[in-house]
Amino acid sequence: MSSHREAPEISQDPVADNTDCYAFVSPDKPDTVTIITNYVPLEDPPGGPNFFEFGEDVRYSIYVDNDGDGKPEIEYQFRFKTRLRNPDTFLYNTGQITALNSQTWNRRQFYEVTKVNHKRGKSKVLGSDLASPPCNIGPRSTPNYPKLANAAVHRLDSGERVFAGQRNEGFFVDLGSIFDLGDLRPLQNLHLIATSPAMGVDATATLNVHTIAIQIPIKKLTRDGSVPSDAMSAKAVLGIWGAASRRKTRVLDKANDERAQSGPWVQVSRLGNPLFNEVIVPMGEKDKWNAVHPAGDKSFAKYVEHPELAKLLPVLYPGVFPRLAKLKAKRADLVAILLTGIPKGIVPGFQNYTGSVLADMMRLNVAIPPTKSKPSPLGLLGGDAAGFPNGRRVFDDVVNIELQAVAGLTYPLVNPDYKPDDAASALTQGLTPGKNRYQSAFPYLGTPHNGFDTPSGPKG
Amino acid sequence: MENLSRRKLLASAGVATGAAAIAAAPSVAQAALDHPEATDPSGPPPEETIVAYVRDIKRNEVTVMSGTGEVTYRDPVLVKRLVKAAPSGSTRK
Repeated sequence: MSSHREAPEISQDPVADNTDCYAFVSPDKPDTVTIITNYVPLEDPPGGPNFFEFGEDVRYSIYVDNDGDGKPEIEYQFRFKTRLRNPDTFLYNTGQITALNSQTWNRRQFYEVTKVNHKRGKSKVLGSDLASPPCNIGPRSTPNYPKLANAAVHRLDSGERVFAGQRNEGFFVDLGSIFDLGDLRPLQNLHLIATSPAMGVDATATLNVHTIAIQIPIKKLTRDGSVPSDAMSAKAVLGIWGAASRRKTRVLDKANDERAQSGPWVQVSRLGNPLFNEVIVPMGEKDKWNAVHPAGDKSFAKYVEHPELAKLLPVLYPGVFPRLAKLKAKRADLVAILLTGIPKGIVPGFQNYTGSVLADMMRLNVAIPPTKSKPSPLGLLGGDAAGFPNGRRVFDDVVNIELQAVAGLTYPLVNPDYKPDDAASALTQGLTPGKNRYQSAFPYLGTPHNGFDTPSGPKG
Repeated sequence: MENLSRRKLLASAGVATGAAAIAAAPSVAQAALDHPEATDPSGPPPEETIVAYVRDIKRNEVTVMSGTGEVTYRDPVLVKRLVKAAPSGSTRK
């Protein structure tokens, strides 16, 4: 998965598990950037009566680095509180939820947004008591879910828009196949343990996730308060990532509702580029990676320079990747994509280079306008500079992009003499996400599946 | 990390008055400190509490957390008292 249950420790702490991070110039509001960080992986929509929610004891952060040092200048923090109307029922709702203040909605969540300016050492609460929508339960309980979700989009006096609540899982992947010894269903007849080729299976097609989304005027994020128009300017590039933190200690006393917390906030999860911790960092280092900031990523660079997956592909697909098998040099192409950004002069008219500091951040060049007509889900590899790895849009096919990159397709960017294997560009998980997965307006991830209709029809 | 002095820590814990009393009657206080009394908790813990743990017995290090602050002290007396107070069966290395 992009970063769903990707490390041993965080796999046991779903409400703090940052599963995806998206950052893009808003297509319908191009003077703003939308940043989305998702939590609570693999939500099965019927999961009541205790439906999914954010953690009250978790501090959710969205970080922005605007000077390339791998450290945040700006942070948006989100903290949640749960309110119970009636403790004497086991039900999430005792009737229809038709509005965010419905008396029949028993267990609700509210949140506070704080902006921290790390450069000035100041913080300011931008919004309090902001309501999250309920989970999408079913046609009896949440008959008009889009109305509830729209009501939960809040405009802050400071100019940002925020949303925090359940959404349709945007990340699509053939999970069951990929982790079955790196099988890619369309190519599985070529696998070391071959079976007949078949269409890919979208393992997250009927799942939901909990989304924290914020839309921010670009001028609030750049180092000089400008809205850059020159894509070659260093100040046009932002480094973006999400993280979750918990207090260092928690004391449980007698009963679970008697708890105390103390000590500094300790980061337990983070995510910039998709799949970084998932498939680049080895098992023994994953928890450590989740605990550090991007500025400390130099120690993980060796895993990018010589990715394990690039060694596995020629073994798993005998004879399919002969040139990749011989490629022993450091993968400077992957270092550029994941750790420094792509310098100018590599891709005509494009750069998202943040300097020599090796840091896993989503790098977004805000001077590249959104692609409105037929954006390519393959992003930069598909000739669309408004997509991954220039930030990441909700529909970008990051699995295919990274598979092809690791397989050697992007290595000619740093060594024009290298000719990728034919299979590198053909590598695919064979998936196309359904149209209801996304929406054209903030928060851009589609209406979550309701528990009554999902999964639809009988299961075997 | 927030600055957390020992004086501030004691004050936030409401121990300052007790400390003053100890200074006024050293013999009584010393006797009380030498014989801590095991007791049942009188109520639930506060939402934010002070937590201390012995970080390294050999180096006499104890870490004290309050709010979002954390300080590690080298305090042989405190470490010795905490180790002595620890229930039997606990790890002591």
